[in-house]
Amino acid sequence: MKNATVNLRNLVTVVADPSSYWRRAIYGILRSFGANKVLEVEHSMDLIRILSSQKIDILIVDTQIHPHNWHKLTHMIRRNATNENRTVPILLMSNDTSERIVKDARDAGANMVVAKLMSPNILYDRLCWIAFNPRPFVDCPSYFGPDRRFKIEGYPGGVGRRKGDKIIKVAEEVGPALAQDDIDSLFKAAKTDAQDA
Amino acid sequence: MRKMPDNSQPDVRIFYANTRFEQMARRPGGVPRQKAMAQAQAKIDELKSGFNDWLDRELRQLNDALAKVENDLNDNASLETAYRNCAQLQSVCAAMGFELVTFVAENLCKIISTMMSGAAYDKDIVDCHINAFLLAKTDQYRAMSPEQVPEMASGLRRVVELAGRNSVRKSAAMDE
Repeated sequence: MKNATVNLRNLVTVVADPSSYWRRAIYGILRSFGANKVLEVEHSMDLIRILSSQKIDILIVDTQIHPHNWHKLTHMIRRNATNENRTVPILLMSNDTSERIVKDARDAGANMVVAKLMSPNILYDRLCWIAFNPRPFVDCPSYFGPDRRFKIEGYPGGVGRRKGDKIIKVAEEVGPALAQDDIDSLFKAAKTDAQDA
Repeated sequence: MRKMPDNSQPDVRIFYANTRFEQMARRPGGVPRQKAMAQAQAKIDELKSGFNDWLDRELRQLNDALAKVENDLNDNASLETAYRNCAQLQSVCAAMGFELVTFVAENLCKIISTMMSGAAYDKDIVDCHINAFLLAKTDQYRAMSPEQVPEMASGLRRVVELAGRNSVRKSAAMDE
């Protein structure tokens, strides 16, 4: 992935951020990456207007977007079965990348969350990741969006939860990595520590 | 042709969207990473030179919004605007590595947040933060960490703590 090159020419990219400074920064970075169709949006109202009037190729949205919040927007995009942008990749930018935000973003249907101390390198990586590692979409009554289990690449021995899960190849076992004496000494140390406590 | 994953439940559909982004972004002919990084870094450096103007503009807007709140304590829209301004200051300054401005903005965000949940508007607290901003934005102080200006940092932290306590006390009184 480190050597992959992403081609953003003629792809419609929308940057939605209430901060003019950030919009300019992301716009500049994307232009440097070769993007020639970058739209900037300050409010969620403008974003909704764009989403309902034209096809876009990728959405980069900040969690501070208003008056509709990012969660509602993401949900709105993913749940609207008639919207042609329903499957658009959504990259969420946030100052707060706590577990709660990441989980909320994942459950709302965002593709990725990027910390706002974003460097060009990180943005380029994320774009490559979305382009070269497509995730299947899941459509069910309670969720529509990219498969949320994208970090699970499979289970050793082919014990996947789905037929579509990849299988990780692990090395053949060649014998115990530790001698019995080493194992015994580890247990002994733990016992001593517990007694000390 | 990509093999479709197995749909284990009848009401679950799993499919590859094969978006235009995925198709077109993989085309050859993109800007090579190294060149893209160099160009992007040049853009960022260009933006940094305009940072002072942006910072002044944001502080002015924050000041205006807070002045409106001072005149009309029920002006929730201005309070929200002030909060957003402050959050943006925090966000951008953190990204630019200006720790002291980030610290002051973070503090003021907390104060405004307590006001949004019912705490009284305290002019002294707001003025104290605005003055801290004016100091923190100067070239001399901007890149300093709060630890390098301990008196100012502990003073602001104490103010936030008191504001939080007052807010809790007020909401408890309202509950009674």
